[in-house]
Amino acid sequence: MRGVMLTITLMLVGCATTALAGQPEYQKALADAKAAQKKAASVDGEWRDVGKLIKQAEAAAAKKEYDTALKLADEAKAQGELGYAQAMSQKNAGFPSYVK
Amino acid sequence: MNLIQRIAAGLAIAAVSTGLLASPEDDLKAFQGFFHKRFPDVSNAELGNGVYAIDPVGRANWEAIEEFPPYEPMIDQGHEMWDKPFANGKHYKDCLPDGPALGKEFPHWDKKSGRVVTLPLALNECREVNGEKPLPYNKGKLASLLAYLAFESRGQLIDVKIPKDDPRALEAYEKGKHFYFARRGQLNFSCATCHMQSTGMRIRSEILSPALGQATHWPVYRSKWGELGTLHRRFGGCNKNVRAKAFPAQSEEYRDLEYFLTYMSNGLPLNGPAARK
Amino acid sequence: MRDEHRGRRAARSLALLAGLAVGLSAAAADSNIEKGRAIALERSKGNCIACHMIPGGDSPGNIAPPLVGMKARFPDRAALKAQIFDATVRNPETSMPPFGRNRILTPKELDEVVDFVWSL
Repeated sequence: MRGVMLTITLMLVGCATTALAGQPEYQKALADAKAAQKKAASVDGEWRDVGKLIKQAEAAAAKKEYDTALKLADEAKAQGELGYAQAMSQKNAGFPSYVK
Repeated sequence: MNLIQRIAAGLAIAAVSTGLLASPEDDLKAFQGFFHKRFPDVSNAELGNGVYAIDPVGRANWEAIEEFPPYEPMIDQGHEMWDKPFANGKHYKDCLPDGPALGKEFPHWDKKSGRVVTLPLALNECREVNGEKPLPYNKGKLASLLAYLAFESRGQLIDVKIPKDDPRALEAYEKGKHFYFARRGQLNFSCATCHMQSTGMRIRSEILSPALGQATHWPVYRSKWGELGTLHRRFGGCNKNVRAKAFPAQSEEYRDLEYFLTYMSNGLPLNGPAARK
Repeated sequence: MRDEHRGRRAARSLALLAGLAVGLSAAAADSNIEKGRAIALERSKGNCIACHMIPGGDSPGNIAPPLVGMKARFPDRAALKAQIFDATVRNPETSMPPFGRNRILTPKELDEVVDFVWSL
């Protein structure tokens, strides 16, 4: 009986730690995403969905769905960075070659 | 002004003043020339009708709609608003003495406040100065007031000036121009991608309207909206369509964009308000 | 079992497996083509039909070349994939969105749409 109880306890603890294992990674990804959003916004380069993805990540995390939350935060970060890179690449935007 | 704008504007101003880069007058010639070449049979006045100047089927539908224009009730509402005194007894006309036929005075560079002033901005500032709450910029009551003022201004020729006695005016123009030609959003489009490069062509079933003439006819009763909307509302919608985050109506970005876009339609007659699909 | 008998059985098994593999990959490619078609016609995904005529599609745009004769235009599948991934590489002034680079499509969706477009 004690052996069974011990096994069950260990399994429960194992499950709990696995579920929470995603949390620190998610927290970092969320912070990175927010930083990327801010950086893109600072050069007028923020994309439409970055804010929504961050909100969705936070909602998933609130439900302890850290795998999903991590994926969403990573996508938000990626899009934030792409928006910044795009704006920087457009520094010299002006009349295109097909005008004139 | 963010870093990109600072760099772009600084480079442009240095280049224009040294003659290395095109002046706004050069830009205007190139811009309008592009559309005259693309649509050689369409007059400047007609370009103010957008796709209906280049799409015969759409035009037929549009002319039918114009027999009972959907924006007519809003013109009447706007007329009432213009005539009604504020709580303190003053009127809009006290801030804007040339009204209601004042469309050609906007947008303009305001040296005192160091920014581009658009008509919606001026109207709300008139309200605030007279103790009234400002109205939302995208639609509703302000759009109706704009409809009345646009209607009364029909026929006036656009004549946006970039005063040479204030280099910040040229800066604002250059920032608006940069906004226009910069790719943005996840879909990587600039305004020019659709309204210059592909104008007259079809995206799905919709013909892309030419940029020349886009500033002449606001506010617009857009069937898609089922109501009147302002130019900055449309800027926001377009930005969202290319999956860029929209800027707020009457933000510096959109006011500078309006400054550039309207300047590019210099010489065209105002013909608002308008009905569109 | 004698050696040559074993050898023949091995050969037959290999042939069966190879046939199965070819059959499976052909089936996979076919299902990719169907998935890719859905992506090409879906507004929130590839929305290719917004600009390109696609055989079997309704009300296409006419901004870009019709998608026909694709194997002749792109003998190399990798070149087609690169073009859909980021068309600005070949033409910096292109009006075509960079479907891969800008994460409009996932890598899996990109492969599916490439299979579809290449089949046209």
